[in-house]
Amino acid sequence: MSKYRHVGTEAQRPEGADKLAGTARYIHDITVAGMLHGAIKFSEHAHARIVHIDTSRARALSGVRSVITADDVPEVRYGFMRDNLVLKKGKVRQFRDEVAAVAAIDPDIAREAVDLIEVEYEPLPSVFTPEEALAEGAVLIHETDAAGRPRTSNVVPLPCRHASGDLDAAKERTAHVVEGTYTVPRIQQAALGTSGCIAEFDRNGNLTITTKTQIPFLAQRDFNSILAALGLEGRNVRVVVPAVGGAFGTGLDTHAYEYISILLAWTTGKPVRILYDREQEFAYLSPRQSASMFIRQGCDAEGRFTFREVDVVQDNGAYTSWGATYPNVMLVAATSLYRVPAVRFDSRIVYTNNTYCQAMRGYGNPEITWPIESSLDDLAAAAGIDPYEMRLLNSNQPGDVTPMGLKLATCGLTECLDRTAARIDWKEARGPERRTARGVGMASLINVGGGGKIYASDGSGIILKLDDFGHVNVAYGGVEMGQGLHSALTLMVAEALGVEPENVHINETDTATSPWDVGTHASRGAFMAGNAAVMACEKLRARIFEHAEKVYPAEVERNLARLRDRGEDVSPAGFDYTSVTRDRFDLQGGRLFVVDAPDEPWLQIDLGRFLRAVHFTKEGGVGTIFTEEAFYEPPTELPDWDRGIGNMSASYTFGVQGVEVEVDVDTGEVRILRLVAVTDVGRVLSPQALRGQMYGGIAQGVGYALYEEIKTEEGRILNAGFTDYKMPSAADLDFPIELEFVETDDPYGPFGAKGAGEPGIVATAPAVGNAIFDAIGVRILDLPITPEKIIRALREKETAVAGAGGG
Amino acid sequence: MSYDYHRPRSLAEALDIAAATPGARFVAGGTDLMVQIHKRAAAPAALISLRHVAELGGIDNGARLRIGSSVTLTELQAEPAVAAGYPALIDSMRPFGSRQIRNMATLGGNLCNASPGADAAPPLLVYDAVVELRDRAGAREMALEEFFVGPGETALAPGEVMTAILLPPRAGDVRSVYLRKARVKMDVATVSVAALVEMEEGSCVRARLAAGAVAPVPKRLRDTEGLLVGSPLDDATIARVSTAAADEISPITDVRSTADYRRHLTGVLLRRALERLRAAPGEGVL
Ligand SMILES: Cc1cc2nc3c(=O)[nH]c(=O)nc-3n(C[C@H](O)[C@H](O)[C@H](O)COP(=O)(O)OP(=O)(O)OC[C@H]3O[C@@H](n4cnc5c(N)ncnc54)[C@H](O)[C@@H]3O)c2cc1C
Repeated sequence: MSKYRHVGTEAQRPEGADKLAGTARYIHDITVAGMLHGAIKFSEHAHARIVHIDTSRARALSGVRSVITADDVPEVRYGFMRDNLVLKKGKVRQFRDEVAAVAAIDPDIAREAVDLIEVEYEPLPSVFTPEEALAEGAVLIHETDAAGRPRTSNVVPLPCRHASGDLDAAKERTAHVVEGTYTVPRIQQAALGTSGCIAEFDRNGNLTITTKTQIPFLAQRDFNSILAALGLEGRNVRVVVPAVGGAFGTGLDTHAYEYISILLAWTTGKPVRILYDREQEFAYLSPRQSASMFIRQGCDAEGRFTFREVDVVQDNGAYTSWGATYPNVMLVAATSLYRVPAVRFDSRIVYTNNTYCQAMRGYGNPEITWPIESSLDDLAAAAGIDPYEMRLLNSNQPGDVTPMGLKLATCGLTECLDRTAARIDWKEARGPERRTARGVGMASLINVGGGGKIYASDGSGIILKLDDFGHVNVAYGGVEMGQGLHSALTLMVAEALGVEPENVHINETDTATSPWDVGTHASRGAFMAGNAAVMACEKLRARIFEHAEKVYPAEVERNLARLRDRGEDVSPAGFDYTSVTRDRFDLQGGRLFVVDAPDEPWLQIDLGRFLRAVHFTKEGGVGTIFTEEAFYEPPTELPDWDRGIGNMSASYTFGVQGVEVEVDVDTGEVRILRLVAVTDVGRVLSPQALRGQMYGGIAQGVGYALYEEIKTEEGRILNAGFTDYKMPSAADLDFPIELEFVETDDPYGPFGAKGAGEPGIVATAPAVGNAIFDAIGVRILDLPITPEKIIRALREKETAVAGAGGG
Repeated sequence: MSYDYHRPRSLAEALDIAAATPGARFVAGGTDLMVQIHKRAAAPAALISLRHVAELGGIDNGARLRIGSSVTLTELQAEPAVAAGYPALIDSMRPFGSRQIRNMATLGGNLCNASPGADAAPPLLVYDAVVELRDRAGAREMALEEFFVGPGETALAPGEVMTAILLPPRAGDVRSVYLRKARVKMDVATVSVAALVEMEEGSCVRARLAAGAVAPVPKRLRDTEGLLVGSPLDDATIARVSTAAADEISPITDVRSTADYRRHLTGVLLRRALERLRAAPGEGVL
């Protein structure tokens, strides 16, 4: 039996019923009296000088309240490198550049007005690949940096590299080497809920913005700068997060549309809402980066890794978001997935005239795991070793400190490998007897599971407030965006405080009431919230027990009096209930009792009654209400990116996915027959939320492996919508997905849990690629693995075989 | 985005409104047209709904099978006469959109939208379908093959309505099948193929082949189908046919696929279609 009453139980998701019934309020459902509707005029070129903007026809349209261009409003710089302007001045660098905006009394009028804005451009030479951008004499996308200093190349100045071990010596000990250049495409985060916000000012110049974000507090900081630009320095910014229909990384940066709605709210004096529809979401929100990754790795004669070298080139697009720090997270797997004694990692982020990119679930990890785990199977083949055996041989172990300095307090990789192999019938499925064009493959993963420090603080605050009726309200700065944070947090608060989950209520995230949190990313939500909650709950319990010393005897007397009135008898307490000390109280299920008699009803006090008894006293002066706060800062290091060293997370999550596929060798189609995912999550907090995270991540992983790609032509997106951007739907996920969890009880995790938001997506693509390789003997290096690519590879293989036979 | 919406009750009324309303478009299920309007790819001054025009509904199994242009795909799927006589048309409905789409989408709309990949087109081409068109001046009939003019372009004159799709009766050992491939399950076809053979004493006496998404219009493969006549559907013939089709199609590379792959896939699907017809007389299979 579990040692926990609530943690690990199949509780319903607290927000589930409202989402199912359609009564949850997303940004699309919120209107404010007097609200105007904003719309944005986007660039029509990948790179061009803005010669002239004519807004006269838009301004003349009935119902239009404001039309703004860079000339009408103060300049506002934003973005991770502050290389972006909210409204573009001088030139545009990508098709999604914002050049003008309109506020009108209804959305159709706003869009019509946008169409009436005429912009004259003078096209400039453009670059659409990092190779073009790095070529001698390539056009500069940014002539100067944010500080106005001239720039000399299109490389974004964000170094991230690593070198450990003696690479030369390692190469000498190497018996087998493989290498290859793997690529991953730009893809869409494709959250069901599209983007949007409502900005409004009060008459004192204080701003409230209701917006779909994952970083309410960093957004607050960002929006302070626009207030300063508007001459409102020092006024208050309040960020309110409504129900969020998925974000997957799109909410990790502030966006031009948010600043634009603020500017329009300022110019009109009215609340202004901007909403993106699906096509706009595709065309004008930043996708996940494409990257090209060269990998070379070697092993000794027994199959032990000797070294690994990785060179990453990432297409940044025209501006820089947090997503440009992907290499920081790539370092984790590059240096620390398996025991590798010598590692070199180099990365370059390159500006192009493509749509600028931003983060998505996994944050560099699905990218880097693709070459590592694919080339591992090639290396195993070169060494004549079973890839599963090779993984086992090189598996990380608890207590390891990796070349990056990651301290693996717990590590269930070996068990995940064994369980995956057992469930997918590895030996039999790979055996020589297998049917043609069927194959199995597996891939491992390591993911930060205890935060990921890439900012000055990786901490989280929490405020718990008990009301007079035994309910606890939780103010937390992280964002529930469908991942199940509230499910996990509810169970953890119930467990740590000793109340029932129905009595735990998590507030809407609001910078006015929630304590600071760095943001909901890096699988950190439940880990941080839980640790903060445990600390705050302990403080709250201590205060409750302290007051219980005074209140408990009288409340027990009241119980007794009531029983006597009813003529009932009670057995003796067996201890002196009139003088219980604080260390002997306990609180469980919302009932206060003494550890000596946990089950005697007349010796139990309902929490609500206890709280009222403490709250409503006859004496004047200092009274008591129960509110506690805690701020948890994980014991981690902000790595030195120039050396690529630092223990950036408190815990590390491991996992393995195994896949069986069948390939139609005539059409090139890949059918997944089954998928197994075994994940070391430390501890299962909310099984329902965790399964949701895994299924969702795996679905995205299947999309990454087989279908998804943003197609562009000269920087313009060709498939901006679900008609031609293909994700797997439920109909395509028609194979069994088996989940299993390994509980390694991490010492840093709340109740032993490690973060599990991202792992689902990380290992799917290489597992699928490896299964295809097992099935038909061809390896596709470029995601997604489309039927076209398989047919081409099969033809090339045939030609090579025929050529060899003929020669 | 604003337009007048008309809801005529009779065909005469619909035709009158069309004649009197420049820039008006007919709308049946709206699953093509409304998407275009929302994407701003179409901006009609008015919409004339055909959903309540009684004459355009219903399926009539007379000398020819007459399918009203406003019959929805769901209605079509449930019609025993279609399942019995024209199984390839049923095949084409199964992967078509989703249930919600099939509840709204009409057969007439699929043809009048004239997408090169329209799923209903290849089966109807191999069944020698005829379409009935009508304007205020009167009605005319036209072979479906001639109805398609180019991508999104048809032989419809302004103000003219497609009233019905007519299918000749089925006789003899006629076997037909429709196969299609798409990127994911919910997708328009990358390539589709319909095949029909009439067999007599183990030999093919009549053949029809058609393919979708490999030419500007849903395409009847007249030269290729000629290779089948007089043959016993043996491997050699099937191989010849699936190679020959490449000369009759003109696929393009677009966001969905490449010309090269579409050519390859057309051959594969034709081979599979003919192998199925050889193996399973009269059976429509996916
Ligand atoms: C999500 C989704 C999935 C889809 N999947 C598929 C698919 O798998 N395969 C496929 O082939 N298509 C697919 N489609 C396209 C569409 O559903 C079909 O083409 C459908 O048959 C169109 O019929 P409708 O009645 O909705 O046409 P409408 O949109 O009403 O009309 C289409 C066009 O035909 C004209 N029109 C309609 N009826 C007549 C008439 N009687 N006379 C003259 N003109 C007329 C209209 O003016 C318009 O130009 C899909 C669409 C969506 C939105």
